[in-house]
Parts: sequence; C-alpha cells; structure tokens
Amino acid sequence: MLPVERVIGDGGLSAGPDGGRLDVRLPWYRSLPLSTVRVEALEVDGAQIPLESLRFELDGGSWTLAELEDQTDRFWFVLDSARLVIPGLSLAPGSAHRVALTISLFPPYIPGMKRANAQSETLLVR
Amino acid sequence: MTTKTGVIETSATLYAYTNEYISRQYGFEDLLREVARRGQGPGVEVVGFQSIRGFPDVDDAFAERFRELIAELGLRPTSLAINSDRFLKPGQPVADDVLAEYHRRQMRAAVKLGFPILRYQFATPPSLVRELAPYAEDLGLKLGLEVHAPAHAHHPLVLAYREVYEQVNSPALGWIPDFGGTAERLPQSFLDASRARGVPEGLIALLLEIWPEPGESHVRAGKLREIATRDGHASEHIQAVSLIFFILAKNDPRGWSELVDRTIHIHGKFYGVDADGREEAIDYDTILPIFRDGGFSGTICSEWEGHAYMVADAFDKVAAHQAMCRRILDAA
Repeated sequence: MLPVERVIGDGGLSAGPDGGRLDVRLPWYRSLPLSTVRVEALEVDGAQIPLESLRFELDGGSWTLAELEDQTDRFWFVLDSARLVIPGLSLAPGSAHRVALTISLFPPYIPGMKRANAQSETLLVR
Repeated sequence: MTTKTGVIETSATLYAYTNEYISRQYGFEDLLREVARRGQGPGVEVVGFQSIRGFPDVDDAFAERFRELIAELGLRPTSLAINSDRFLKPGQPVADDVLAEYHRRQMRAAVKLGFPILRYQFATPPSLVRELAPYAEDLGLKLGLEVHAPAHAHHPLVLAYREVYEQVNSPALGWIPDFGGTAERLPQSFLDASRARGVPEGLIALLLEIWPEPGESHVRAGKLREIATRDGHASEHIQAVSLIFFILAKNDPRGWSELVDRTIHIHGKFYGVDADGREEAIDYDTILPIFRDGGFSGTICSEWEGHAYMVADAFDKVAAHQAMCRRILDAA
C-alpha cells in the first residue's frame, strides 16, 4: 500500500469516554477542504458502523459526516491526523479488532474526479 | 537571426519527495535540508497546499522561518505551485469573483515567501488569467501555466491560453512545460508496479492497447474502465491503471519549440532513469536541446512522479535525473 493510499493513522484505535476513536489520515498529497472528503464506510469486526452516528474531529472542530459537506473553509492539513469518534463502541484496552475504513476524495481542482481509498487493519486498542 | 544558447539550471520540487513527506519520514524543513545537503537545489519549488499549513494564506511566522532557512541552506525559491479549487463542493463551481480572490491570496503568498514565479494549472481558466495579469505585474510576479498531460503546445486547451497571452502581451504571463504531455511510451516501472499489486496481464494488455490511442484522457480512461469492468477486473486494479491516463500522454515532443519564447520554468517530469541513462517514458535527448538551443535560460525542476505508484528513495531518483539532464545539456 502506498503512503498516499493509507487512511488509518498511526494512532490506530483507542477507547474514549464516549466510545471508540479511530485515528485517520488524509489519503492525498496535499491538504484539502473537508467539504471534499467523504467517509464512505466503517466496519469494526465485520459490523457496519452507522455513518450517521459518527463524528469527525480535527483541530478542535467536531462535525457529523453530513456537516462536513459544508466545511469549504476548513482545510485538512495533509500531515494532520483526524479522529472518527464511534459513540457507544466499547473497547477493552489491548484487545484486537479488525477495522475497515473507506474514504473518498473529490480533489477540488480536478472536475469530476473521485478517488476511493479502502484500508483494513487489525488494530490493538490503545 | 541567431538565438543565444540558454543556460538551464537543474533544481528541485518538493513534490518529488511526496512519499518521504506524507509518510512522515521528512518534515518540510527536513526536506529542504536534505535537498541542500545532496546538492539538488539551489532552486526549489514548493506546492503551497502540500507544505504550508493555513494555505492559501501564509502567516508571518511561517514566512519568516522559510526565509531564514532558505538563507541558511543556500537555497533559492523558484516557483510556488498553486491550485484553482473551483469545486470546493463536488460538482458545484464557486463564482468567478470568489475564484479570482482565491488566486490573489495565493499570489500574495508567493510574494511573501519570495517566489518570483507562481505555477498555475488548466483549472484556472484563460479569462481569469487575463484578469490577473495586471495584478501579477503590480506584484512583480510571473504566472506560469503548467502545460501538463494530456496537453502539449498544439492542444486546444493550450491554444486558448496562447490566444490570451498574445492579446494581453504581458511580461507576467509564461509557460511551465511539463514533459508528461509528450511521452513516448508508458514507464516500465509503472507496468512493474501494477503487476506487483496484482493487476492481471489481461488488464495490462488492455492498458497498452488503449493508452496510445488518440483522444482525450477521460474518454480513453472511460473506455478502459468500461471494457475492464465488463471483463470482470477488480475496481481497485482499474483505478490503479487509470491513473496513468491523467499524468502521461503520447504526443510529438518537437511541438515544445513553439512555447520556448515564453517559457519561464520547466517541470522535468520523470519516472525513472534506466541503466543506459535514459528516462523510461520521455525522450529527454530530443526535448532538452529544444529549450537550450531555443534560448531558454532558467530552471528545470526534477519532478519525480513515480511516487504515485511506487515507493523508492526519491532523492536517489532525483540525483539520477539531474545527472541525465546535465549530460544532455552540457553536450555541445
């Protein structure tokens, strides 16, 4: 897998007070506005997580996935990790989970281009 | 009439080291230090949205640090690569005046960082270039269109800008040829990388058949997608091979002679230098003398783009490319 294809960040999966957290990366070579980024699918241990339950956190901001579509002025700097918050997901420290994430991009300077990036990894809860 | 022989300097674009950067091995400052240490400058091109947090704006602290580093390392800013983000929402173009101001912000960023040239792309329409030319003149900045694949000197896309350039006749408007538009063949390293990720021979054969055909990139890529999907190939494999339609096109490299006069910088696009010292896909032995003998003096940056499909040491790739360019340029 190329660096530009990776969507799961080095921070992996962790347990938070409000559920699970997944560290995610921007699969592109430059920063992009959040309005051009789509989280398409997330599975944990084979179960689809309802996308409407997720929150996306970056740089002090927090949005539902639907709200991301309006964030034309908020850029995801290419080296920064974002977090997907998965409410209600209970994770025991040190346990192993299979995580599959798909993020699609619509680079705003290339009309009509959509690029899908899927990655699945077994992650140990931090 | 005789033309003075041009003096062409090899240089770097940080885009070449994209894998080193986005895999977090090298930060922005580390890249500049390594470019200097390996003598791959002194000219250096930066992609604004890649290297600068907060772009299209640049804050004072970043600008000050950048200028300090450049001075310390003996580097020289050549070109700041910008983007025309018209589709901030997919499928919904922003208004022309919003897009114009988006460009002006990036132009001011270039001046603040000390770049004399701003690289723009086809996503910036010719009408907007006409509008921005006086502002560029006021800022003392040159705007260079990256003549990128699938385009070349005679491509209808380029003809529209040539018309504006002739009408406006501003010293602020120029070309940045990118040799990917005049490839001879697909790079062997791309075919090898495709096979390594499991692309079947049937899909490789289809790619080799469709890529050299005449026609627009998206039409040929669409044809490949349609046939490959019908043949049952995996979407991941189809996406992997489709990439090449948008970064390389087969056209006659001699057409570049018509753009030499207004060339202000060059993107030395490349994928790999083979054992004989030749680029895998692009005929540099034909192309570089066109610019030198046509009187172009300026920088060519080594733009390794193999990082889009393979992992390798980009500094080594750039070293080989610069050696090849020097061999060709220094030959009488």
